[in-house]
Amino acid sequence: MQKIYTAIFITILLIITSTVIAQDEDFFEPKSSIGGYGELHYNNEKADGKEAKKVLDFHRFVLFFGYAWNEQWSLKSEVELEHNFVKDGQGELELEQAYINYHHADWFGFQAGVILPSVGLLNEYHEPPLFLSVERPEYSKNIIPTTWFGNGVALYGSHEGFEYKLSVMEGLNSDNFKNSSGIRSGRQKGYKADAENFLYNGRIDYTGLPGLRAGVSFTYNKANGDSTEVPLTLIEFHAKYTANNIHAVFEYGNISYSDQPVESSMGYYFDLGYNVASFFCDKMEVIPFFRWTDYNTVSSFEGGGDAEKKYHNKKWMVGLSVKPIPQVVFKLDYGVRENQLTNSEVKLFNLGAGYMF
Amino acid sequence: MKILLILLILIINFAGTICAGEIKDRSEEIINSTFSGPVFNDAKKFMIPVELLSEVQKKCKQKFYKNYVYYWKIEEAGSLKAIAVLDNVYGKSMPITFMVIFDLDGKIIRSEIVKYREQYGGGVSSDQWNEQFKNKNSESSFNIGSDIAAISGATISVNSVTKGIRKLTLIFNSIKNSL
Repeated sequence: MQKIYTAIFITILLIITSTVIAQDEDFFEPKSSIGGYGELHYNNEKADGKEAKKVLDFHRFVLFFGYAWNEQWSLKSEVELEHNFVKDGQGELELEQAYINYHHADWFGFQAGVILPSVGLLNEYHEPPLFLSVERPEYSKNIIPTTWFGNGVALYGSHEGFEYKLSVMEGLNSDNFKNSSGIRSGRQKGYKADAENFLYNGRIDYTGLPGLRAGVSFTYNKANGDSTEVPLTLIEFHAKYTANNIHAVFEYGNISYSDQPVESSMGYYFDLGYNVASFFCDKMEVIPFFRWTDYNTVSSFEGGGDAEKKYHNKKWMVGLSVKPIPQVVFKLDYGVRENQLTNSEVKLFNLGAGYMF
Repeated sequence: MKILLILLILIINFAGTICAGEIKDRSEEIINSTFSGPVFNDAKKFMIPVELLSEVQKKCKQKFYKNYVYYWKIEEAGSLKAIAVLDNVYGKSMPITFMVIFDLDGKIIRSEIVKYREQYGGGVSSDQWNEQFKNKNSESSFNIGSDIAAISGATISVNSVTKGIRKLTLIFNSIKNSL
């Protein structure tokens, strides 16, 4: 036993020593940093035979705060206020990230605290200038419950154009799963999270070509609540290409459930856009785009039937995203969503302004 | 258990060796791999003249990390061939250390990330992305999206490093004239 203690002590000493040697004040100073993003939305939603619903909403105001004690050890945090106000269950104040980060080298680092699992393109990178539509894609709400955060630990690294991240964090509460929104309501959001069954998540991306990010992730959790237990796996593929004035995105995800009538949720979408400002001005971006989305939170139901059509939606969208500078964006989009059971349509028109820094 | 501990110690020992003197070693390794048999001095500090510093910062809308940068004079076959400059810019919250090697006309021969310190945005280290700066000089355009490709998940790093490289092209003549 004494040998083990000695080994641990030597290990800690080696870590500290290597940290001290690597420190060089010409290249690093302890520092705090701030950042953030925000977005204002106007939503006009008109369902068949109904009055249009019009909403003006400062959807998200997010502040990032970080502090680096040295080159290896730092704190990262992000606090979000949703819908401008919190009262009686409306609006949300969330601690979306708050973790200690140890960055040993490019190939290895770890995080402990409130972390983001690596699922899809938007869960970790969701600042408004980074996606084309006013609202986040419906896929990133109903299939991937963005922003998905929780208490846990993660390992990450990169090598030769490949990036990986492995997370172990709080699981989902299966009592709160809904047919209309999949696993979204099952997020515990770090609030005295039930740690009975951990969630395991792994992702690998290839970023070796300028403008390209393509990868897959795998997530497993034996979700549980007071009255249910639902083992599930989420497998998704994502790719994004933003170079040579082209903006192309594709995401596909499938959730398989066990021990319950709903057997799976599935969805995908793709975006195609082109920066037409490249023809007349190189200082800004003007990107008209087209999006096609197909998602179904009950894509397979025990016994089949209409249950598999009730939450199956298809949607097309056209829009325009204008960036006077890379960190500021003005957007508009128009789309029609069709439900596959009722064939009813919802027309959606949105305007938005967003920023990041 | 013991095997795991021994493995851990070996990994950290190995990694610790890499960390020591990492920036200097890595910088010289980059110079060595760019030229055949280069001769270069130890890194020297170049104090950026106050007026130039302020002018370049204003033009690039980015502050210098310090009021000096490091440089190496690179000789081949007895004559001055190139100048390598080392500087830092801030990414989202940590400094990114990068090197730019110029020919004597101020054209970029190579740019390289010497040290990246964060999880996100490491795509700026890729060779293909850095290749885009080759042959650019102080007169070149550095617009992101058209001249320089954006990187998904590395917006802040791409902006910072691009501005940082442009800043060095603008102080290159002053470094060269000081030799």
